[in-house]
Amino acid sequence: MTPTAWLKAQTPLAGRALPVAIVLQGLNGALLIAQAWLLALILNAVTFAHAGLAEVRPWLWQLLALFAARALTAWGAERFAVRGSARIKVALRDRVYRRLQARGPAYLAGERSGALVETLTKGVDDLDAYYARFLPARALAMTLPFAILLLVWPLDWVSGLVLLVTAPLIPLFMTLIGRNAERLNQRQWKELARMGARFLDSIQGLTTLKLFGASRRQGTELAAVSEAYRVGTMRVLRVAFLSSAVLEFFATISIAVVAVLIGFRLYGFEVPLPAWISLPRIDFQTGFFVLLLAPEFFLPLRSLGTHYHGRMEATAAAERLIEVLGPEPQTASTDATAAPAGPRTAPGPVTLRFTDVHFSYSEGREALCGLSLEIQPGERLALVGTSGAGKTTLVQLLLGFLTPTAGTLTVNGRDLRTLDLDDWHRHLAWVPQQPRLFQGTIGANIRLGIPPDDSRTHPDAVRTAALLARAAGFIESLPAGYETPVGERGAGLSGGQIQRIALARAFLRDAPLVILDEATANLDPESERLVQEGIDELARGRTLIAIAHRLDTVRKADRILVLDQGRMVESGDHTTLLAQDGAYRRLLHAYAGQGRLGGAA
Amino acid sequence: MKDVIRLLRLFKPYRHWMLLGALAALVTLIANVVLLAVSGWFITAMAVAGSAGVAMNYFTPAALIRGGSILRTVGRYAERLITHEATLRLLAQLRVWFYSHLEPLAPAVLQRYHSGDLQSRIRADVDALDTLYVRVLVPVLVATVGACLLLGFLLLYDWRIAVVSLGFLLLAGVAVPLWSRALGQAPGERIARTEAELRTACIDGLQGLGELQVYGAAAAQARHIDALSRTLATEQVRLAGYSGINQGAVGLCANLSLWTLLWLAIPLVADGRLAPPQLAMLALFTLASFEAVAPLPLAFQQLGRTLAAARRLFAIVDARPAVEEPAGPSPRPDRFDIRIADLGFSYPGAAAPALDGLSLDVPQGGRVAIVGASGSGKTTLFNLLLRFWTPDRGTIHLGGHDLAQYRGDDLRRYVTLVSQHTHLFDLSIRDNLLIAAPDASPARLEQACRVAQIHDFITTLPEGYDTWAGETGVRLSGGQARRIAIARALLRDAPVLLLDEPTEGLDGETEQALMESLDRLMVGRTVILITHRPVGLDWADQVLVMDQGRVLARGDASVIAGATGAELLGGGD
Repeated sequence: MTPTAWLKAQTPLAGRALPVAIVLQGLNGALLIAQAWLLALILNAVTFAHAGLAEVRPWLWQLLALFAARALTAWGAERFAVRGSARIKVALRDRVYRRLQARGPAYLAGERSGALVETLTKGVDDLDAYYARFLPARALAMTLPFAILLLVWPLDWVSGLVLLVTAPLIPLFMTLIGRNAERLNQRQWKELARMGARFLDSIQGLTTLKLFGASRRQGTELAAVSEAYRVGTMRVLRVAFLSSAVLEFFATISIAVVAVLIGFRLYGFEVPLPAWISLPRIDFQTGFFVLLLAPEFFLPLRSLGTHYHGRMEATAAAERLIEVLGPEPQTASTDATAAPAGPRTAPGPVTLRFTDVHFSYSEGREALCGLSLEIQPGERLALVGTSGAGKTTLVQLLLGFLTPTAGTLTVNGRDLRTLDLDDWHRHLAWVPQQPRLFQGTIGANIRLGIPPDDSRTHPDAVRTAALLARAAGFIESLPAGYETPVGERGAGLSGGQIQRIALARAFLRDAPLVILDEATANLDPESERLVQEGIDELARGRTLIAIAHRLDTVRKADRILVLDQGRMVESGDHTTLLAQDGAYRRLLHAYAGQGRLGGAA
Repeated sequence: MKDVIRLLRLFKPYRHWMLLGALAALVTLIANVVLLAVSGWFITAMAVAGSAGVAMNYFTPAALIRGGSILRTVGRYAERLITHEATLRLLAQLRVWFYSHLEPLAPAVLQRYHSGDLQSRIRADVDALDTLYVRVLVPVLVATVGACLLLGFLLLYDWRIAVVSLGFLLLAGVAVPLWSRALGQAPGERIARTEAELRTACIDGLQGLGELQVYGAAAAQARHIDALSRTLATEQVRLAGYSGINQGAVGLCANLSLWTLLWLAIPLVADGRLAPPQLAMLALFTLASFEAVAPLPLAFQQLGRTLAAARRLFAIVDARPAVEEPAGPSPRPDRFDIRIADLGFSYPGAAAPALDGLSLDVPQGGRVAIVGASGSGKTTLFNLLLRFWTPDRGTIHLGGHDLAQYRGDDLRRYVTLVSQHTHLFDLSIRDNLLIAAPDASPARLEQACRVAQIHDFITTLPEGYDTWAGETGVRLSGGQARRIAIARALLRDAPVLLLDEPTEGLDGETEQALMESLDRLMVGRTVILITHRPVGLDWADQVLVMDQGRVLARGDASVIAGATGAELLGGGD
């Protein structure tokens, strides 16, 4: 589906607002014609009937009423167009966001979330240019000129002919030149965007530039890039503007021709023409009426051109929206309708079994190849291996964010695919490597996802969870305590504090299975110790599956799973594996020896 | 007003272009008014002459009509060309102006603008400045001069008509825009706030989707986003309603002006003081003259936005650099030892000093490791060593000369940094490397990349060294980006090397491989490394443990690394 077709297909979302806007606009055009007629009537009376103010006064009042009505319809048309567009935007934003949500975290991890956020916010707002501006303008351009032509023709076919001959030239030229200009224009916009990006890049990298003494050089370079851009752009614009000048020329010259032809006939100028052509005789009132309508004939066509750029922006935004909405989700959907409705089970102990599980992100690139594994309730399992070994994939499969490409993953004997994901999620708590704090208070972040009427939302319950997570100390030392608002990405809190809030979240959740991605790497020793204490506490009486990045934290695990290139290469506890002199031992050595510098010196 | 004058001063080099652009716009406006007014006069005069059977000179008005239409087309073309030319020249100059003012402020003063959002805003602000010319200056100038000329013409006929026209022009061009702007202020602010909230909610919803789903809060987040989206749309509709008043007002004022003119002029025609063709001319003249004020409502809106942007930029530009460059030439050291004596430093507005009485001697070729948690003052020391900040007290000597005697750029020829944050520019890998040494030959680049163990990887890329890196280019992993940083440092070939957690966030194996590259980089250089992990520091001659700006312990590598390392590793046993 082309972006334009897609945009058109969304218009019903606006309800009646867009049609109402278009009708109001048409009404405004009709009033305009009436207004021109009345004005010609008044001038005719004053000029030829020598009417005074007294005679024309009723017409003047009617004219005033027309002016008021036109102002109202114009304003109303604008309001309805904007309102209709707003409805479409709200509906689309919701649909796009829910679609992204349905695609699941695994899909989003591969995308640049920044670009998606841009699409959801500014991208959706860009659609205004199409629905609130371009669509009404196009509707007007397709009706008003025809209405004027139909009206003028019986009155004076000469003027009608002038309009008829020049009118098709305008859309013709607009498409002919416009297509070319659009391409050039698009390239220039891209260039401009690239130049802006370059500027931003220079600011962001200013420290690096300074470090290498390249910052002054960069200033000269910026000037050179901008200058080159100017020269290139002007070369394009000279041509692009020339084409729009041609358009403008046609419109203006035909108004002039209409005026001159009317003038000469009113004067009674004899044109030497063959006898079979007889020019229609016109009176002043008709002539003046036609003259007043001539510019209005071209105006909608020309204003359509001014909305062209906006339409381009909207089309570009639509392209991104189609991309997001388009292809089918690859991962399990969390839509209640899409997921099989299994019976709700109360969270209890879970036994997990991987049977010959394969997973590949793309054809031929297996992230997991034939993993078989059973995890008993209450077990403490550590996953180790280099990056790319498949640890994260394994966790994502467990969370239901990915589904195995082959093999099965069962929970208490039932295939995870047949379970309702929301229900399955109630059995587990998850602390990712970089936990996210959401806009809101610390308390609300700990209570995440717990319904407001649940007893766990009680302040005492939250406080107990924070205590167990070793987070209560620092939270309660804050002036607003649990009511402290959390900024973007937990601004103002240290990595260790964020981790402990996320642990408190997991405690409050009180789920039988805890999955965590240990992120002690970015913590200072004190935070690391506290987080570790919290994790040990959390492991008590629960199944704990942890991705371990720091090998000194895995010793407490009942079982250590060593993964390498999607395969389980070793499994056992610390002592056993150390004795085996295999992959685990090598990893441990690499870890212990990582800081050994100066060997070559 | 002060900001406007300051902005205009920035625009000064292009004042000829700007005046020319405004002149072209004025010609276009007048040509259009002439075209319509003369057409009205012409038709009426021809009809009157035709019905009376008298002769009239129709050549002049017909020529005026043709001339007007051609002049209008040419004028519009010239106006668009010239204003774009001026805008592009301006944009180039504004960027360079801003960059050159920003450069001395980096990185110390710019730390306040660290977040990506703020930097994007800077970019948008600079772009907003150039609209001042096309959207504000030209329309205001044309409206003012045009309105004066047009009113002068009306005065030739009747002063009352001129006064009424002036009144409606001011109403449409000034009063209504100001009024609607006042109305739009509150929804405008609410829109900005809601947009920010919506953005945050979307970021939360996408980046935190995993947690939202696992904790069963995803549906609530979707509802939250939808609610914000609805609030935003409601406010947008309200604001559009107010700005819609503007557009309607120009048309309505033009019509009302025409209506009053008829009311005033028809008795003049009846009296014989005004010829009927002149009435037709004045009627169309009035309607057409409102084209002069039509762009003003937008100009008012733009002016507010542009000035806000200008104020933000001026605030940055006016900041005092954190480091003053010495007047004389920099010393040329012949040895590269570092002597730090009683160094103290506090960040502006900070309660506690970041560095408090640090002393350290590093002989040429010496190797120091500084261990401490974040906030212990390690990074501050590097900022002072690179002369990004000036110490509050104490001194740093490099090769026997006080650091304050070195010009920043000269100093950084001798001191370079490899940090965990490597900025890869939106350029090819080659150009990213050349930043460190613009004259380096391809062979030297490859040599540096071999030592940094990144050459093999680069050659596996289809475009090799010409592969685009950075934001829009190929994604390099953390380890690869840091190897590029190492290659840059090798190309820079500075005798003093600062390492800021160079292996942070990498997994064990990558870390070990990177360390091998670093080993080679360190050969023959004076090295200071900062880290928060007291492990594997046995290569260092000196180890310092820092906390809150003070040195807690210092001594031999084995002693300190052994003690703290054992404590840490033993913590879990």
